[in-house]
Amino acid sequence: MDNTKHPFWHNLFHRKADRIHEVTELWLSTPLFENISYSRCRELVRNMHPRNYKASEKVFNAGDIGESVVLIRHGKVEIRAGEKILAELTEGDFFGEIALVIDEPRTANAIASEESELIFFLRSDLEEWIQRSPKDGAQFMLNISRVLAARLKHTNLLLSLQTS
Amino acid sequence: MLEKVINHPLSKTLLLFSLIMLGFAFFAALLAPLLIPIIISFALYALLEPISGALERQGLSSTTTSLTVLIVLVAISVLVISLLLPHLSSQLAQLQQQLPSVWQTLIGFAQEMSQFVASSMKLDTETSNSITQPLFDQANETGKEILITGSNLIISFSILVILVPIFTFFLIRDYRGIRNYLLDSLPNNSFELGWIIYHRVTHQLQEYIRGIMIQSGIMSIITSLGFFIIGLESYILLGIITGILNLIPYIGPLLAMVLPVLLALAHTPLEPWLVGAAIGVIVIAQVIDNVIVIPSVIANAVNLHPVIVIIGIIIFGNFFGFVGMIIAIPAISTANIIFRGLLQGLLTRKTEFNRYETGQVTNQ
Repeated sequence: MDNTKHPFWHNLFHRKADRIHEVTELWLSTPLFENISYSRCRELVRNMHPRNYKASEKVFNAGDIGESVVLIRHGKVEIRAGEKILAELTEGDFFGEIALVIDEPRTANAIASEESELIFFLRSDLEEWIQRSPKDGAQFMLNISRVLAARLKHTNLLLSLQTS
Repeated sequence: MLEKVINHPLSKTLLLFSLIMLGFAFFAALLAPLLIPIIISFALYALLEPISGALERQGLSSTTTSLTVLIVLVAISVLVISLLLPHLSSQLAQLQQQLPSVWQTLIGFAQEMSQFVASSMKLDTETSNSITQPLFDQANETGKEILITGSNLIISFSILVILVPIFTFFLIRDYRGIRNYLLDSLPNNSFELGWIIYHRVTHQLQEYIRGIMIQSGIMSIITSLGFFIIGLESYILLGIITGILNLIPYIGPLLAMVLPVLLALAHTPLEPWLVGAAIGVIVIAQVIDNVIVIPSVIANAVNLHPVIVIIGIIIFGNFFGFVGMIIAIPAISTANIIFRGLLQGLLTRKTEFNRYETGQVTNQ
């Protein structure tokens, strides 16, 4: 009898692998992992850190030391400055990527607006990966530069609209 | 007022830091008999981790990786030991034979000195003996203890040979999993800070361990070569002992001088130049160590005040003996990073949080 097809065995042996596959696919659909292979991304995902948050729980406060970019696997997260909501993010979105580039405190508050599962990709893991696979690391840094440049462009546009 | 003091980041840091240190102290006391094999295994893990990481990335399971690394480690150790052991054991036997005569030479020298002092100070024999006899008795006891410690060391070494590979195997296989489990168990609001402190501590410790291992090896080679050139017997063993003692900052080099000088003193007929040459070898090795090896190998792996280093060595030496003296620097350095990390984390959190809550900054 092939036990591996039984749901019990399937859950026991494949749950983690399925989660890794799902998170890998989510990351690959973001601009951060553009032109990076599935296997390389999966290798990174195996060392990422999933965390569960309750509704209204703070993910981080402005001023916290930032160490990671965060991907939303399930749920919703609000990015706030004081009471003002800057962005509402859902499954597949990521935030906090500035922390991967500079060693500065977080610049806004992030709050889970519903029960959420978030995946943390730490800067230390990125640095280790860059040393191991410089080519992929360079591609990732290029991608992150594009993301930050796009954010800067968007902010400049908003500022120019406000001033005009 | 009291609430303000309790909620101040410094008070919170002190409380958290004390709890963490108490935890460390508890485990250190609990594992005291196994401290040496555990420390050696961690040092080996730090050295072998890049190899095991590379093998795991090739798709090997953690158990297969650990076994492969362990087999390679054991094979290299067997090769090195089989090459060095015949030479080392003969030198050890030679040293054991020489130690009683070294001790007798020293006692004889001390007796001559006491007679000289007694005659110059015009003391009668009874008074002179009443002062010196307890000292000689104590010295004899210490000499016997050293010889017994020497045989105990061989037993401890045999235990190490068995325990270290076992501990290293499990560290390579399970360390990452246990580390991830413990750090991921931190509450959501402290999880990132925990990882930041962990990475700073491990980065600095890895640099330090690799640095001192290379430094110790270089010092062993230089001093072995020096002792060989001046014609001191048991030169390889003396070199290895000097290399190991060099792991203790400031005090180590002084301790390293004792055995070569004693052996030079025991040389019959007594050759004063040999004593000077033995000291000279250590001094030259120290100069090379301080001018070339430390700046290029260890650099700024730890940046502690010399007074803190010396006090630390004495306190750790008091609690954990010789091993304590070696682990004093990395232990103080780790405590320093943890304290600074906690304080920085809690301070910036409070300051920046106040800024944002009062609406001074509004962009992401």
